[in-house]
Amino acid sequence: MFSQNGLSLDQAPPISVVFRFFLSGALFGILAGILILFFQTVIFDAHSMKAVILTHTLTLGVMLSFMFAALFQMLPVIAGVTLTSPIKKANLVQYPFVLGVTALLLAFNFSSPWLFTVASLLLGGSILFITIIMLSNLVKLPNQSSSSRGMLTALASLAIVVLLALYMTGTLSGLFEGSYYTQIKTAHYSFGLFGWIALLIISISFQVIEMFYVTPPYPKLVSKYLPLTLLTLLVITTITGLFNPNIWAVSNTLLALLLIGYALLTLKRLTQRKRPLTDATVWFWRLGLSSLILSMLTLVMTNFTELSWVKSSTYLFFASFALSIVFAMFYKIVPFLTWFHLNSQGYFTAPMMHEVIHPKTAMKHLYIHLATLVTFILSLFINLFIFLAGVLTILSFGWMAWQIIHAWRLYKHTQETGEKFEMNIA
Amino acid sequence: MIISQFMTQEHRDCDTEFAAAEQAAAKGDWAETEEKFLIFSNDTLRHFKREEEELFPAFETQTGSSEGPTQVMRYEHEQVKGLIGKLAEAVESQDKDAYLSLCESMMILLQQHNMKEEQMLYSMCDRVLPPELKTDTLEKMQKVEL
Repeated sequence: MFSQNGLSLDQAPPISVVFRFFLSGALFGILAGILILFFQTVIFDAHSMKAVILTHTLTLGVMLSFMFAALFQMLPVIAGVTLTSPIKKANLVQYPFVLGVTALLLAFNFSSPWLFTVASLLLGGSILFITIIMLSNLVKLPNQSSSSRGMLTALASLAIVVLLALYMTGTLSGLFEGSYYTQIKTAHYSFGLFGWIALLIISISFQVIEMFYVTPPYPKLVSKYLPLTLLTLLVITTITGLFNPNIWAVSNTLLALLLIGYALLTLKRLTQRKRPLTDATVWFWRLGLSSLILSMLTLVMTNFTELSWVKSSTYLFFASFALSIVFAMFYKIVPFLTWFHLNSQGYFTAPMMHEVIHPKTAMKHLYIHLATLVTFILSLFINLFIFLAGVLTILSFGWMAWQIIHAWRLYKHTQETGEKFEMNIA
Repeated sequence: MIISQFMTQEHRDCDTEFAAAEQAAAKGDWAETEEKFLIFSNDTLRHFKREEEELFPAFETQTGSSEGPTQVMRYEHEQVKGLIGKLAEAVESQDKDAYLSLCESMMILLQQHNMKEEQMLYSMCDRVLPPELKTDTLEKMQKVEL
């Protein structure tokens, strides 16, 4: 009865499992910055191959890495799911995943059918492998919370994103004709952005906003039904869209309104928090949610205008939404885990959270991130700013990578030199 | 649901008290911090005592298991008590940075712990304890003092 409830001492995965996914995400982020310097403002043309390459560096390389880190860590806490042999699973996911992303980026660049096949095998295999394990663990939970239900919908969306991607890479590899290629492509990025990324952030926020900032809980109606509503809308639109692609305009507007509602509600929750101290993570959340609102407003605007900067803004602000939330989570998770693992191992000298990453260090990253966003917006109108945006992107992810390396070194240093209290907890 | 309701409310009250102490420390008002911190720590420790002396034994007797979730909860109580001790030291030495830093760890630790209790343990208690035993346990818990 209790084995699946996550109430076991060894439920937290080893710290290296979480850190390594954060690190690979940060390294892909640095790569994204370098690509921006090479591709320049061509990235704003969504139909260009360069935009596709950058998008996948960010969504797959950066976001999916971070989200693996978050899922490995948070499934036990939020959903009571304990993954067995986490290191082995992390290895089985990470190596093929990193190789797969690299193969896919190269495949896009060289339009190489065999590279598409390699990428399909590596990415399809690794992502579906861990998604199915996580999904099957979540489904078996005796008590579903709004977060665990939300994660189910997010992971289901991820599986759909991958399956749709396999249809496209199969077409590009020349395996089959791909008569529905255009429709599948629309469904692929819609499921990716609204289904996978937005749904995961939403379902995690149902717990962490309340947990980190001590706010009133979300209304039951929202926490229980919003994720499922979004997923249902996506599924219905995808099926209808195969025959009538115009349906996406209606669906996007509905999705946008729902997400704007969610963002406003969360911003309100942040004003109701009982811990009135405002640290960088609160600002990252505010920035992320405001970006989501702007992204969705410009998405609705694309129904009425052909202006290219409006369309680019939708993607730009969506990226800012996703990355801001990732940074908000990062500056809580990394210091806490470093302290928590060392403290649980009985080290008197376990560094406190502020010693792992000082709040001022997180604030500096907030300024870098904000400057990155501003230079990107400027580069929509003045091309030269794109170089600054690229450099700032490299700096932002480099900053993050350095924090992980610093935390890891502090962790190892404490283990090697710290005084330990042998706890007998049995 | 009576166990869940009562115990969850205690968690929320402790959160509010904790936030008040944290706010006072951020302002640098150490007299107020000490006062609010004492309220928080006493209420938290009384809550733990209520669980460890009344609720957990009732649950363990009913389910015949003392090695399940209650053991983990007891261990986590010890971790929280350790942090309460460190926070008290920080109040004593009026070390603002240390106090606020420990607050961060405390909040996440406590919220993770509360979440497990609220979503799993309390609802299990409400499910497995017979109605009279539930009322009885609740009354006994309300009488527990430090």
